[in-house]
Amino acid sequence: MQSVENLVTQIQGLSSIAADVAALHNHLKAAEDMLRSESTRLLSFLEQLDPSKHSLGYLYFLEPCMYGSITKEQANTLVPVIARFLTSCAAEQIRLASEKFITLCKRFKDQVMLLEAPIRGVGPMLTAVRKIQPSTEHLTTLHPEFLQLCLSAKCYKTGLSVLEDDIYEINQPRDFFLYCYYGGMIFIGQKRFRKALELLHNVVTAPMSTINAIAVEAYKKYILVSLIHHGQFSISLPKYTSSAAQRNLKNFCQPYIELANTYNNGKVAELETYIRSNREKFESDNNLGLVKQVVSSMYKRNIQRLTQTYLTLSLQDIASTVQLNSPKEAEMHVLQMIQDGEIFATINQKDGMVRFLEDPEQYKTCEMIEHIDSSIQRIMALSKKLTAMDELMSCDPLYLAKAGRERQRFDFDDFDPVPQKFTI
Amino acid sequence: MDFSPLTDALASKSYEKIADICDDLMLRVAAQGVAFQDEWPYVIHLLGHIYINDINSARFLWKSIPSAIKDSRPEVSCSMEDRPEAMDMGLWWELYNKRMFQLLLSAYSTISVQDTALFLGMNEDDATYYVQQQGWILDPASRMLTVKKQPIVTEQKLDPSKLQRLTEYVFHLEH
Amino acid sequence: MDAEDEHSNSMMEEIYSNGGEESTRSRPIISGEQLDVEAYASLYQGRTKITRLMFIADHCDNASMQMEALRMAYDEIKKGENTQLFREVVKKIDGRLGPNYTMDEGWCDSVDRRAEQRKEKLENELNAYRTNLIKESIRMGYNDFGDFYYAHGALGDAFKSYVRTRDYCTTSKHIIHMCMSAILVSIEMGQFTHVTSYVSKAEQTPEALEPVTIAKLRCAAGLAHLESKKYKLAARKFLEVAPDLGNSYNEVIAAQDVATYGGLCALASFDRAELKSKVIDNVNFRNFLELVPEVRELINDFYSSRYASCLDYLGNLKANLLLDIHLHDHVETLYDQIRNKALIQYTHPFVSVDLHMMANAFKTTVAGLEKELEALITDNQIQARIDSHNKILYARHADQRNATFQRVLQTGKEFDQDVRAMLLRANLLKHEYNLRASRKL
Repeated sequence: MQSVENLVTQIQGLSSIAADVAALHNHLKAAEDMLRSESTRLLSFLEQLDPSKHSLGYLYFLEPCMYGSITKEQANTLVPVIARFLTSCAAEQIRLASEKFITLCKRFKDQVMLLEAPIRGVGPMLTAVRKIQPSTEHLTTLHPEFLQLCLSAKCYKTGLSVLEDDIYEINQPRDFFLYCYYGGMIFIGQKRFRKALELLHNVVTAPMSTINAIAVEAYKKYILVSLIHHGQFSISLPKYTSSAAQRNLKNFCQPYIELANTYNNGKVAELETYIRSNREKFESDNNLGLVKQVVSSMYKRNIQRLTQTYLTLSLQDIASTVQLNSPKEAEMHVLQMIQDGEIFATINQKDGMVRFLEDPEQYKTCEMIEHIDSSIQRIMALSKKLTAMDELMSCDPLYLAKAGRERQRFDFDDFDPVPQKFTI
Repeated sequence: MDFSPLTDALASKSYEKIADICDDLMLRVAAQGVAFQDEWPYVIHLLGHIYINDINSARFLWKSIPSAIKDSRPEVSCSMEDRPEAMDMGLWWELYNKRMFQLLLSAYSTISVQDTALFLGMNEDDATYYVQQQGWILDPASRMLTVKKQPIVTEQKLDPSKLQRLTEYVFHLEH
Repeated sequence: MDAEDEHSNSMMEEIYSNGGEESTRSRPIISGEQLDVEAYASLYQGRTKITRLMFIADHCDNASMQMEALRMAYDEIKKGENTQLFREVVKKIDGRLGPNYTMDEGWCDSVDRRAEQRKEKLENELNAYRTNLIKESIRMGYNDFGDFYYAHGALGDAFKSYVRTRDYCTTSKHIIHMCMSAILVSIEMGQFTHVTSYVSKAEQTPEALEPVTIAKLRCAAGLAHLESKKYKLAARKFLEVAPDLGNSYNEVIAAQDVATYGGLCALASFDRAELKSKVIDNVNFRNFLELVPEVRELINDFYSSRYASCLDYLGNLKANLLLDIHLHDHVETLYDQIRNKALIQYTHPFVSVDLHMMANAFKTTVAGLEKELEALITDNQIQARIDSHNKILYARHADQRNATFQRVLQTGKEFDQDVRAMLLRANLLKHEYNLRASRKL
């Protein structure tokens, strides 16, 4: 059996080229039990190692230090050490022991939470995500951990940096559920409701054999964001939604569905009454803020509807139609919507009138052409991906065996085929 | 704490970079375990977000400021009228005015002198002078201003390479 | 009951012979003036006469009209054998028509007693026929049972008995008879899905139907569509009714009703061209419209864009139409649809419309008109926008090019999102499947 000191020497000697690191990894694996038994004094040896050069060894030394319960004082010592390691470690080394690395990161998150300083974990965790990811298309277990830290530390914008990537590869369904749920919350915070809806929709419609709490919470938010963004909510789920979700979601979200029904009547007063009498439910779900946004979205929706109907309308009439208290209040709503690009209008204070205009977009600017061009590029790339996946799957013996067995059980209609017109 | 990237950006008036620089810096010092809150240039950081119209990030930053700091450093809780020395507030102010003016220009056909002054953060005489310079017309009797719309100029000339690409798409679709 | 009771007289003669005194004949029975209950009731016979009178009594807010309707219902019921209806009408009268219109237990008892005896007799007869296996007799036996139950108000049993004759029908005439009986009872029961199915059964019989039968079937089908709010289909059926109908179907419907139901349904659901070809230029239907001149006039007004006059007629007719047993539930909807159609038609040819003038034409205020137009624009029934400041409606012409760009970008966005979501789901499924497969190993 090796001593810790020996191991330190091996780490120092075998960390520069890939073949050496592989050999080192075997030594380290063999020494795991010893390292765990020596965990109390490992920290002191770390000074002899360089986290950026001896990353694998450093990881094997650091990880056992996390076992057992950690006090605040211990966390105070450990957090900067781990943070420095995560920031400077070599990606190709730590990927050899990715599970260990992930465990370390999770404990790291626990510790910054214990210290009530989530912001201390945000930067290092982002680096960790990037290092453990084989490509930006891969979802890792660290994604949801990172997003949760961003939410706790109120670093929403930083969270966007991983959310902008298109994820395709998933190892753990649980990672995916949490990633979409936390991601949805971050997009909600940034008022990017379309993206939020997309992520929440992914949770709700994901394949699942039993209903889970994440899907239920996601569905609640999905209902609210639908109302805010689309001004409507459709109770029917797409046919590819799991039967577990189809059967159970609605029962768990009754107050939200009723809220949506009340919204559909278009009466602000009714909506407010309903919210008042169900306030506690929304509050205990931490959705009250979002529910309030639903109310203000109704004013917007009602004003938007007027733009479809009227060329000019007095502020007084707007106020009374959308149930605002005064023409001035109506003016402020209209002004805000003009500023946000939600309507096109000019206010005439002298006559107390608003003139609604058509969308001035003529689809002629270079910027627009650029936008259309990049959309086409993107869609062509997606189509290629889809075709590749389709080919891969139709050659997969496991899939073929399953499909062959189940052919009698399903109609073609049960699946969601790619429409021919989309294949580019 | 090393604020040199921030001071550089301020010195070169690259205000659009401030938010990112501050965000990045904050995460780095936080990771090092530095208790940065007491010395953090919150006002500049907030203004940095507002400068690039990222009101949401400004809102979350504001929420993350410990209440002890909001209490002990009154300038943090003041609105935009306060002028921290580090930033050239004149320039910042000008930007704010420009944005407000653009909004009024697009949203109003007629507007009262009183509201114009309120929106632009000026007194009524200054505001009237400012907008008259832009061609707005004052009706002294009703104290109403008639907004002069400016034509919006957009680049519409098509790059030939774009056309080439579009042709290729069509070809692609047909074959 | 004999549904095949045919009249060869022309319709006009029939109407006059049905009228009461000379004075009621000179004016149409269905009109904007207060309903003449007696003249109205004279249009019908049998059970529908009673139920229509009771319906009027339940729905009119005029006490003397109510009393008159109840009195006539009482008298009519007493001519028949339905003690259940009798008890009902007595309860409704509640002694308000004096001693001659109170409960008559003696009458009830004797009717019920006779009914018992008759039923026993019919049962014995039917049993005898069945032992002898004479098809035609069995058919008659069941038919008699149907008539018996119908007369006593046991509509469900009547329906069953009539339908049971089906197995013993040997000629097309029998089948038609069975269908007509089933239709009559179903209408009384409000079972309009049965009506539809027996109408089509009757129409499928191989032999050519008599014109009057065809006319009756059109009426029944029209009623069924009206009940299911399929106004366009209802209109088409009523418009196809031939004048041969006369008053031959007055146990169900009067010729006046064909004109009113058909006319209003057509107005509410037809476009201008269809209104012209199928209603105004329809020589057959003109005969019916002559019986209800106000409906004729309002249709002509509508077609000639005299909306104020059209709406006037409609307004005047409304109270009486609300007293009609079949039209009652549909009056509001039909009126709304007619008004909306008028509003749409009015705005259609114009680039801009002065709202003051339009409000005048539609007998409403400018503010009220704005609300109506708002709803129609929101519903995309009128492509226009309201200049509320100058009170002008402007037609709106969608920019095809911009709309196409908008739609293309939207479709692209949706495709992008859908494909990514699909790839993710596929990967999740693959993962789950691999996991299960690896567990099995």
